[in-house]
Amino acid sequence: MLNLHGLAKHHGSTPVFDDVNLEVAAGEFIAIVGESGVGKSTLLNCIAGLDAVTEGTVHLDGVNITALGETELALMRRAHLGFVFQAFHVLPHLSVANNVALPLLLLRRPDAARVAEVLAAVGLDGLGPRLPQTLSGGQLQRVAMARALVHRPKLILADEPTGNLDPATADRVMDTLRAQVREAGATCVMVTHSQAAAARADRIVTLTAHGVADHLASPHAEAFSA
Amino acid sequence: MISLLRSLSWPEFRHHPWRNLAALLAVMLGVALAFSVQLINQSALSEFSAAVRSVNGEPDLEIRGQRGGFDEALYARVAQMPGIALANPVIEIDTYAFAANGERFALRVLGVDALVTAPLAPALLPRPTANADRMAIFDPDAVYLNAAASKRLGALQSRPPQQAAAAGLPWHPAVRLQTPEGSAAFRVAGSVSAEGAPLAVIDLAGAQSHFGWLGRLSRIDIRLAEGADRRQLIAALALPPGVRAASPNEATARISNVSRAYRVNLTVLALVALFTGAFLVFSILSLSVAKRQPQLALLGVLGLTGRERLSLVLIESALLGAAGSVLGLLLGTALAAGALRWLSGDLGGGYFPGVRPALQFDALSAVIFGLLGTAAAVVGGWQPARAAQRLAPAQALKGLGSSGDAQGAIWLGPLLIAIGVLLALLPPVFDIPLAAYAGVACLLLGGITCVPAGVGLLLKAVKPPSNALALLAIERARHQRHTATIAVAGVVASLSLAVALTVMVASFRDAVTQWLDTVLPADLYARAAGGPGGGDIATLPPAFVAGAATLPGVARAEAQRVVQIQLDPNQPNVTLISRPLADPAKALPLIGELVALPEGETAVYVSEAMVALYGAAAGKRFELPLADGQRLPVFVRGVWRDYARQHGAVALAAADYQRASHDMRLNDISLWLAPGASMPAVQDALRRLASATGSDGALLEFASSGEIRTISLRIFDRSFAVTYWLQAVAIAIGLFGIAASFSAQVLARRKEFGLLAHLGLTRAQVLTIVAVEGAVWTASGALLGLLLGLAVSVVLVKVVNPQSFHWSMDLLLPWSRLALLCAAVVACGTVTAWLAARSAAGRHMALAVKEDW
Repeated sequence: MLNLHGLAKHHGSTPVFDDVNLEVAAGEFIAIVGESGVGKSTLLNCIAGLDAVTEGTVHLDGVNITALGETELALMRRAHLGFVFQAFHVLPHLSVANNVALPLLLLRRPDAARVAEVLAAVGLDGLGPRLPQTLSGGQLQRVAMARALVHRPKLILADEPTGNLDPATADRVMDTLRAQVREAGATCVMVTHSQAAAARADRIVTLTAHGVADHLASPHAEAFSA
Repeated sequence: MISLLRSLSWPEFRHHPWRNLAALLAVMLGVALAFSVQLINQSALSEFSAAVRSVNGEPDLEIRGQRGGFDEALYARVAQMPGIALANPVIEIDTYAFAANGERFALRVLGVDALVTAPLAPALLPRPTANADRMAIFDPDAVYLNAAASKRLGALQSRPPQQAAAAGLPWHPAVRLQTPEGSAAFRVAGSVSAEGAPLAVIDLAGAQSHFGWLGRLSRIDIRLAEGADRRQLIAALALPPGVRAASPNEATARISNVSRAYRVNLTVLALVALFTGAFLVFSILSLSVAKRQPQLALLGVLGLTGRERLSLVLIESALLGAAGSVLGLLLGTALAAGALRWLSGDLGGGYFPGVRPALQFDALSAVIFGLLGTAAAVVGGWQPARAAQRLAPAQALKGLGSSGDAQGAIWLGPLLIAIGVLLALLPPVFDIPLAAYAGVACLLLGGITCVPAGVGLLLKAVKPPSNALALLAIERARHQRHTATIAVAGVVASLSLAVALTVMVASFRDAVTQWLDTVLPADLYARAAGGPGGGDIATLPPAFVAGAATLPGVARAEAQRVVQIQLDPNQPNVTLISRPLADPAKALPLIGELVALPEGETAVYVSEAMVALYGAAAGKRFELPLADGQRLPVFVRGVWRDYARQHGAVALAAADYQRASHDMRLNDISLWLAPGASMPAVQDALRRLASATGSDGALLEFASSGEIRTISLRIFDRSFAVTYWLQAVAIAIGLFGIAASFSAQVLARRKEFGLLAHLGLTRAQVLTIVAVEGAVWTASGALLGLLLGLAVSVVLVKVVNPQSFHWSMDLLLPWSRLALLCAAVVACGTVTAWLAARSAAGRHMALAVKEDW
């Protein structure tokens, strides 16, 4: 479903990473771990077409997105990608429901029932009319998650989704993310420093400056393969 | 606090020097303009007062008559009165001198007795040239010129004729002065030290004989004997009707009073820039506080109290204001020095004729204007300082900003507007429309304060749209309307002032144009003197007027007599116009209906200034002072508009005036030409007729109604040119404010743009959102600015103008110009927002989601 081939990213003459080769199957939930500064978030940006690669290709469902123009990339992200960030990034002037509805509105497919359904699924039933300022960190991350899932994307990219949360909340958020991704049948690539979060993935990939070093199967791998 | 300023404020200033410099420059410009106007006026007034003192001397008391003077027999009586140490008889004549190039210029001639003038007015003591004989000071044909007069008569420096030099005879250059009989040549025998406008001193007897003042005096300057009681002495003098005891400082006080409204209006106009500057400080500090929210929040968490955060921002604004003020005072002084050097001290008002003052720096004014600039900046910084004080540190650290927009008191805006309206209805204070100006400020502040509530009310009815871009824009407007108000506040303030000035100037110009149509019905105008000053000396012989009507090419001729009369010693002279008034409704630009004339009374028609200054409304009676203490009771039949004489004019039928005053002299003549008549030919014929009837035809001045109209409107446009500059400055400051606001807001929204890029918005779409938001907000600001500007223009046209200058006008709305102004502002605002977004939403805008502060 997602295929990275010989991917390299350099900032000028300074390499961030080189020769990254990775295949992610449809419906797979993988965690990318690695030392700080090794380029985990940059790799996610390259996968999303938000950052240009220096070498290599990224294929999403057979489409080489590294060959796409700015507008096509934007349309691809709009239709097929969902994002979850460490810092939530919910828009403070939109209500919770409108924040979640934003991807649907961009696709010109407004669907209030779907928004309510996703909110209920992430445990935010009834909080739609509220403004983000009135929510806790865990709730805000679940809003972000609902927004990433609402338009049923093929691929969800999560960048340190539990980085700003306490362990108990992080656990609950990971439960929800894992369940919803599975429910939606989406593929998920998650970057994390958290061992606990990574342990929820089907597969753990370690990124180094010279490519993907390990492919560790997580306890969930069986469930995935089943 | 100093360490906070060093660690928090200084880096912010260094990071955005241009933005902060813009606020500083706005304050500087406002202070500079206002301070320079103050310095120029102060220097001019001071110079004028020094000139008056030098010409009038320093007597304890003056005895003055009306313009025609009084019988000199009074002098003999006064000089012998016990309690009077010295009495100096003086004749004041306003006439014209002819420069070497033939040009005619106004000259004041003072007839004095050289023997008694020295102790009272030493500046008038004739100083004969080295080769003049000692008795020349009594020579009735000799004049002594001050420096200004000598300068105008440049050719006086020429060498004596060869024959005189060869014979070793004393030789003096000559000067020709206009007299009632035409002109006469005088010997320039020396100089006087009196300052100010061109002046010539002549022996008293010479003045009386040459200028038709035989047996008459203008004034007697008196020095009281030690211990003499001024009040008792005045009572004992038993002055005849039309003669009064006056204070020597009257002229200075009068000029100060009459020019006050003009000076205050100029200062207020100059303060427009400072007003918009305060809004720029408001915008820039608001955005600076918004940008530094996380830092302030962190400091809040670390123990910096809300009060300390308030103080920090207020000190920042005060420092900006103080620095701007100091620079403004320096620039203002330089501007004033330049204006005094190149434009004289008049500033277009015509209140200080002939005065070319030197700059007089005033430390007290500097301190006042410096404090005003600082205060304006602190007022501008108050709201952002309050925002910093009210900051919720926990929310801000989570990156969620404050809990929505700060909710100001929604009643404040309407209350300010209501106060503004009430203030505009109040009468002037010391003849200055201070209440109206305060009303204008309240209207502007109230209008701007209403924006967030107004937008909220408007958006309440709007449901969240299903279009993502529209949803983003509307919800942002709904929840961030206070922030957006900050962005457009400068535009609202500057545009409303620009609209108000545009409407006021357009209304005034239209009113003057219509007025000129009524007061210039004839084809050609001829006069003997260039201004009101020489009206008694330069007159037209009655035979000339009679002959003019019969000249070929002339269909009709009407003459008028223009006399200056004094109704109140504290007010400038009023112009009395005696002319044929068979149909006053046609001849005068009347306001309102004519009142029926009671049997046996004399009708007069007064200008609006007469109503404002003397209460001479239609239906009222008052007395006109004529020569020799005569008083003519008159009845006001109607009021007319007069944009030429701010201090009042009275029109009276020629027959009534001549019957009461026996003054048959005439100054001006209006001529209606026969169809096909040649104007130059008629002018030649009139010059020949003037020479044939005993006056100098070459001295006649002609102007067609078209020429007068063109010149009048050119003078009008020149007088108001300064308002266009002020409008440009105000708009420029407002636009810079919106540019600074938008760019800062866009920078603050980088993460939002980054998120939108992740969600699939292209860069072009993000730019479109910002440009559309910019357009909508600037358009809202322009609409509000237009509405407020129209409200302010009503106050300017209907309150400030009548209260300042005693004339009214109809409101004219130049829609096309206003639309153009608004469209230009909206276009600039949109482009500014787009440019700001372009720099913020670059190729890597998606990466902004990773940015930390």
